[in-house]
This record gives sequence, C-alpha cells and structure tokens, in this order.
Amino acid sequence: MANNKESKPLLSGFMLSTQLMEVDGCNRCQECMKWCPTFAVRPDRPGITPMYKNARWRELMAKSHSLRAKVFGAKPLNDDEMKQFTDDTYSCTTCGVCGTVCEAGIKTVELWEAMRPNLVKRGDGPVGKQSFFPKLVKADRNPYQAKQEERLCWVPKDIKIPESGEIVYFAGCTAAYRQQALGVATVRILDKLGVPFAMLGKDEWCCASAMVRTGQREVMAEHAVHNVDALKDAGAKTVLFACAGCIRNSAIDWPKWYEGYIPYKNVPLSVFLREKIRKGEVEYKIPLNYSVTYHDPCHNGRHLMHEMGKDWAFEASRDCIQSIPGVKFRDMVRNRALQRCCGAGGGVKAGIPDLALDCAKARVKDGEEVSAEIMASTCPFCRRNIMDGRNDAKSSIKVLDVVELMAASMGLDTTIPENPYTKFQEQDVLVCGPSTCKLDTVERKEPGKDLVGEAH
Amino acid sequence: MAFYTLGLTFNLVILLTVIVLAVWIYGIYFNFKKWGLGSTGYHDQLRNSFWLFLATWIHEAFKDGLWVFLRTVVLDVLLLRRTLARSPVRWVMHMSMFYGFLMLAALSGLGLMVDIVEHFDSIFGLAHEAEMVKELMALPFDIFGYLLLIGSTIAVSRRILLKFVRDNTSAYDAFLIGAVFLITVTGFYAEWMRGNAFLLGNLFESPIYAPHFALIHTVMALGLFAFVLPWSKYIHVIATPMTLIGNRGGE
Repeated sequence: MANNKESKPLLSGFMLSTQLMEVDGCNRCQECMKWCPTFAVRPDRPGITPMYKNARWRELMAKSHSLRAKVFGAKPLNDDEMKQFTDDTYSCTTCGVCGTVCEAGIKTVELWEAMRPNLVKRGDGPVGKQSFFPKLVKADRNPYQAKQEERLCWVPKDIKIPESGEIVYFAGCTAAYRQQALGVATVRILDKLGVPFAMLGKDEWCCASAMVRTGQREVMAEHAVHNVDALKDAGAKTVLFACAGCIRNSAIDWPKWYEGYIPYKNVPLSVFLREKIRKGEVEYKIPLNYSVTYHDPCHNGRHLMHEMGKDWAFEASRDCIQSIPGVKFRDMVRNRALQRCCGAGGGVKAGIPDLALDCAKARVKDGEEVSAEIMASTCPFCRRNIMDGRNDAKSSIKVLDVVELMAASMGLDTTIPENPYTKFQEQDVLVCGPSTCKLDTVERKEPGKDLVGEAH
Repeated sequence: MAFYTLGLTFNLVILLTVIVLAVWIYGIYFNFKKWGLGSTGYHDQLRNSFWLFLATWIHEAFKDGLWVFLRTVVLDVLLLRRTLARSPVRWVMHMSMFYGFLMLAALSGLGLMVDIVEHFDSIFGLAHEAEMVKELMALPFDIFGYLLLIGSTIAVSRRILLKFVRDNTSAYDAFLIGAVFLITVTGFYAEWMRGNAFLLGNLFESPIYAPHFALIHTVMALGLFAFVLPWSKYIHVIATPMTLIGNRGGE
C-alpha cells in the first residue's frame, strides 16, 4: 500500500489552474499566521497555517513538475511527508479568515477545499471519523443514522406545516435530530407571525456540507440535485435557513452541482425576522436581562459576505439580538469578518476533536473577556462545539441560537414534543415564566449512536 | 561607455540581454504550463494546457466586467490596497520596493534602448539626443534607487528586529530579501565609485574599479531576474498580481 502510494505523484486535478497559480502567489507576508484560529491553539505547528501549507504544496508539486524533475526525472513522494501534509491540510477549519486578510487576495477556503479531494483521491485523506460522513449520509440521508420519515417529529402538534409553498423553511439535520429547540423556536416564531411556510419533511436531505469541506465530493452531486429539485417541486421562492452550514451549501455549493435554473432565493432566518421586526410585526413580552455577545459563524458570515453582502452576513443577527428588550449586547474583540472560528468547521470536529475543543475554548475566552452571559449564534455546529469548549473550560457562558432568544422574549412555548430523539437533546435553553426567563441546560439522557460529532 | 572596457562589446551585451530575456520568458511559460495542470472549472476535465490556463485566468479576471478589472488593477495591484488595510508599515515597504524595482527595471530597459540608438548613430543620427536622455535619466535613477533602498532596508530590519517575523523567516525569505538588499546596495556603490554619490560627491570615486563593480551589480540583478525568479518560489512577484486580478481583488 505504502509503495503503491509512493509511486503516485501529487494530484492536482480538483484544483483550478488559477488555484495552482494562487499557491505560487503566496508572498509569505505571515499575515494569515496572526489570525489562524488553529495555529493560535497549536503554536508549535506552523505547518497548519496557510503560508506553510502553500509552501509545502509547492515543494510536493515540484517533485514532479519542476525544471529539475523535467530534466532529471520526478522524485517519488514518501509516506511521511504526505502524512504530515495531510494532517496539516485537515487541521484547518476552512473558516476563511486567512483569505480575508491575505495580501495576495488568495481565496483560501476554495483553495483548501480543492486540495483535499486530491488527497482523498490519492488515498491520503480524509482523517479520523470524517470518512464516515459519506457512508452515513448515503445510507440515511443524514449523518445521525436517524429516520428520514421522522424529520418533522419535533414539530408541535398545533402547527400544521404543508409540503409546498412559496416560503420553505429548510431546517437541516441538526435542528431536526439533535438541537430541536432551534427547530421548535423557529416554527413557533414563523407561526406566530402568520408566515405561511412549508417544510420538505422526508424530502429534505442533508446539505452534504461535511462532504464538501472534507474533500469527499462523491455524495454531493446527488444531494445537491435532490434538494434543489425538492425545493423547486415545493414551489419555493424563498428558502429560510437557520443553519449556517446549510445556507452556505445552498448558496455556494449546490449551484456548482445543479445544472438547471434555481428559482428561489436563499435567505438567512435572521434577515427574514429582522424585516418583520422593522415592520413592527414582532411583539416582545418578556425582557431578557442578560449580557449577550454574538459569535459570527464562518459559514454564513465570511463565506457569504460576498454573495449576500455584509449587512445580511453580519448585521442582521446583531439587529435581531439588539431588538430584544433587556439585552445588553457586547461584541467580542474579534467580530464580523475577522471573527475567530469556533473550531468545528472543515471536518475538524469529527476528524481532530481535540483541536476543535481547544479552538472552542479560545472562543469562550473571547466571550468571557466581554463578560457575556450568553453567546448567541446562528449555527448549530458552532453552538455544539462552543458548548463543549465551555464545558471543558468550566465556564458559565450559555450558548443559544438567536432565534431561541427571540422566541423566549416573545413568550412562545418552545417545549419540544416528546419524540424518538428527545433523549439525544443536549442544549442550553431559556425557561420562561410569565415575566422572566431563566437560563438552564438540558443534559443528554443517552449517549446516542453518533459516529460523528454534530459539526461540519 | 566605460561599461564595455572589460572585454564586453556592444554586441556581446545585446546577446547576453537576449539570452536573459529568453530564459525569463521561458521561465514564465514554464510556470503557466505548470499552472495549466489544474482544471478550467469546478468539475471540468483536466486539459493540461498553457493556453487554457491563460484562458481561465482571463475569464476569471473579467468575470465581473471591465470596470471591476480596472478597479482591481489600480487599487489592489498598483496601490496594494489589501496590504494597506493590514499594515501601513508593510505597505510603505512593499510600495517602495515594488515601484523602486519596477521603475529601475524600466529605466534600465530604456537605458539599453538609448545605448542601441547611440551605437547605431550612423543610422539614427541621434547620438546627441541619446546623451541628453541619459543625463535626464540620472535623477529618476537616484530617486527610485533610494526608494528601493528604503523598502529593502525596512524588509531586512523587520526580519531581524521583529521576533514573530524572524521566527517564521525561512532560508528562501532570507535569500530573496538579502539578494534584493545586496543588489540595491551594490548599485549605489557602483554609482558612488563613478563619483556620483548623492551629497558625498566624489568621496568614493574609483574610476578603475567602477566598471568591475557595476558589472558585478548587473550580473547579480540579471541573475536574480532570469535565473532565480521564475524558477523558484519568487515567482510570486508575477503570481501575486495575477492572483489579485484573477480573484478580482480577493475576499
């Protein structure tokens, strides 16, 4: 096996020719090293930073494609250097802050995501439990080994949800099976506001974000095409997302795999709700007397700011939080386009969980520095990972979704109906009485049979 | 024409210039062909083509229209907007080096043209005008030389004085910055040996060895330009502006 791999050169076919140029465009200014969230917690491993990854890729390619290789023949790659490079490449959360600060204008997220399939094809990647993603998703259409028929099992009985309509709420696997408080809060708010929304139910398949992030693209085509067709068949004109991973994939990745016309608009739920707040349709009843900070998820922040604008990417969620009575909002030092990644993305949570945990602890510390009691976000994976970091750091910060804060303040009943996945729920919640809300944590009753963590 | 006293003739200089340019152009072609090993689209077939790399790059560069292309060239490539946003000191350093290097290279090219015109006086009859142009070029040579000196001094100082920068400086970085600094300094010293030292007059004048030193400076500069730059990671001098344009300014 080792010998077989040694004989293979580094593959570059999944990279655009302009991306190969970008690797050579790195001028080693070191700016990315100052911002990289994984290097911040692994300062002894500069190899995981973009500058070093580019240099390593260049060296590996040079073994087969340099002038020396043309004249004297290619040098074989050895297992040790490929393993090191693979580890370094997969120790990246694809958060994209390096691309934001890159002086050479390298689109780093796309670059790392194009490098990884080459490593997968060569047999070097993915790492850790990431290899379970395609098998699980292909078998069950979600990564939690849950039944598709039970996608909507958490929806309160008094809310009737049609299968088609112009506004469709795409909940995502995590809200459906592991963080149902988010799903319940969302449908309660939409119902309260009189929004006629539909859901796809069993026709909603995993967005396949984890596969794209980890370079395992083979399942992607099927899921992208299915989901887009399902949304079109449902008559969607507006698709609401309360999951950062899902909206990133829907807005950026699915169109790369779908050949037909996509008639609907992808809208972050916070943007949709902000419009309702501005129109005066949202009525708050209970003040939330907490200091709240906002963690910008990479997937619907930096990744989408060029698709949707900075206002949608960064300000809508903050506006929603600040509209809630009683909330004392404080931004962390690193925010918006320069925020610090929680560490869950890019498959790191599943592949290198200790690295993800250390990144999360660093983010929790950011929250503590501004004395936040609640760290709000709009990404279930960030939430899961920051909660793990919080627990490990024994911090008192609670982690909730913006939608849940709004639902609590609106006085809505966000009790999750009993369902086959109730026992797997573990999340911070707001328990509200007639005039006040208290923070609490729901502990998981069973470990579940998850092969991979709740993170992309 | 002291330059030609070391056994170098005009014809030999022209021949060497052609060789240097040919090596440089082949180096650029070689890199473009290497970049052509990638695909032309997200899941396109591999083409492995020099021309398709160029086509892909042009397609990307003009994807958002001519206005965005021009804006990127001016703001990101010529004014280094992204560097300014991150570090004003690095911006001053890069701007000084970028324009110093670029203008000195352009002036050197112009100087060669003038030499050619002067050499073929029997055809052009412009020897006098050529001499005037040479005199006019002295001041810009000085200005851009000092600009490059300022930039390369900041670069070397950063690498030495700032711990984080120093710790992450590789031999490659040290070689490139050291070479640029050395070429700049030797260029100045060659000028001083000719008796043209700014504010210092003829303090360092040494007419006998001035041509030797000037030759060393020229060989080092051309060597870096043609035999190192396209064949090493220093290709970023070409690849970085192309990346900025291809990515329409980047994230």
